[in-house]
Amino acid sequence: MFEVIGMESTSGISPLEESREELLRDASIEAEASGREKAREESGPARSLLVFFLGAEGFAVDLAHVRKVLRPSRIARVSGAAPEVLGLMNCMGEVLCVLDLRRILSSGKETAPPAATEGKFIVVLKHGGKEAGFLVDTVRDATELPASSILPVLDSVEPSRVRLFEGTVACGGQFVGLLSPSACLNP
Amino acid sequence: MTTRSVDLLVVDDGGALRGYDCRDVVRVEEVAGEAGGYLVRLGRLGSPHEVACREVLGSVTLSAREIRPVPVALRERIPGEKPWAVGLTERELYLLY
Repeated sequence: MFEVIGMESTSGISPLEESREELLRDASIEAEASGREKAREESGPARSLLVFFLGAEGFAVDLAHVRKVLRPSRIARVSGAAPEVLGLMNCMGEVLCVLDLRRILSSGKETAPPAATEGKFIVVLKHGGKEAGFLVDTVRDATELPASSILPVLDSVEPSRVRLFEGTVACGGQFVGLLSPSACLNP
Repeated sequence: MTTRSVDLLVVDDGGALRGYDCRDVVRVEEVAGEAGGYLVRLGRLGSPHEVACREVLGSVTLSAREIRPVPVALRERIPGEKPWAVGLTERELYLLY
C-alpha cells in the first residue's frame, strides 16, 4: 500500500487513510442497516440453509451465520492447539482460524491425522462475535425451507453430539443435521 | 511520525513460523544430537525461558498494520502458551510469542 511519510496524524494514520476509514465505517453502518431491513422483510416462516457434506453425511447451517465459502489456501499449523484446529489461514488480509468439522463432530474420538485440504471447502461461520472456518468436503447448495419443516435431532445421533445440532431437515431425499453455529464455534 | 514496528527472530517450529521479539532474545544455541534443532533463550525483557525449534530462519520487521489479533476461536483452543498476535504479510503468516 502507498504510504506518504510525514503525512500521518498523531494516531499513526494518514489523513487519507482516516477519511477512507470514516467512509468505510459509514459504508459498514449503511450495509448493516440495509441488511437488517432486508432480514426484517424476509423474516417469515422460511429459513435459508447452506447444505454441505462430510463424506456421504449431509449437514446444514443457517445461511444467516455463513460469512463466506472459500477454497483452502496455505494453512499454518499451530503447535499446542486442540486437535480440531487445522491452523490459521490468510483470508484476504484477515487471519482465519480453520477448524476440522469432522473432528468436532466426532467428539474427540477421531484419532486420524489432520484432514487433507485439497479439493475441499471452508465454510466461514460467524456467531456471537466469534468466527472460524470449517473444513468440509463438498458444498451442495443453499436451500430455503419452511421453519416448520425442521425436525428434532434424530435419536440416532450420539448423546455427546446432540448439543452440536439444532435439528434435522429433509433435503434432497435424505436427512441432514442442522448444525448449531454457536455450539460448533465454542469448544 | 513513523508507523510502529517490531523486529522478530523467525523460527520454524515444524508447523508454523514463530516470531520472537529480537530485543528479548538472549542467545540461540544449536542442539547437538540426532534430533538437532535449536534452542532459543529468551528473557532479556521478561522472565527467562527457552523454546526449542527446528530451524532459525532469520529476522523480519513487521509494521503495526501487519499485525492482527489472535482469532478468539484459536485462543480458546490453546491450553498452554498462546501467541499474543499474528503477523500477516503478503507471503507469510507468523505466530508472535
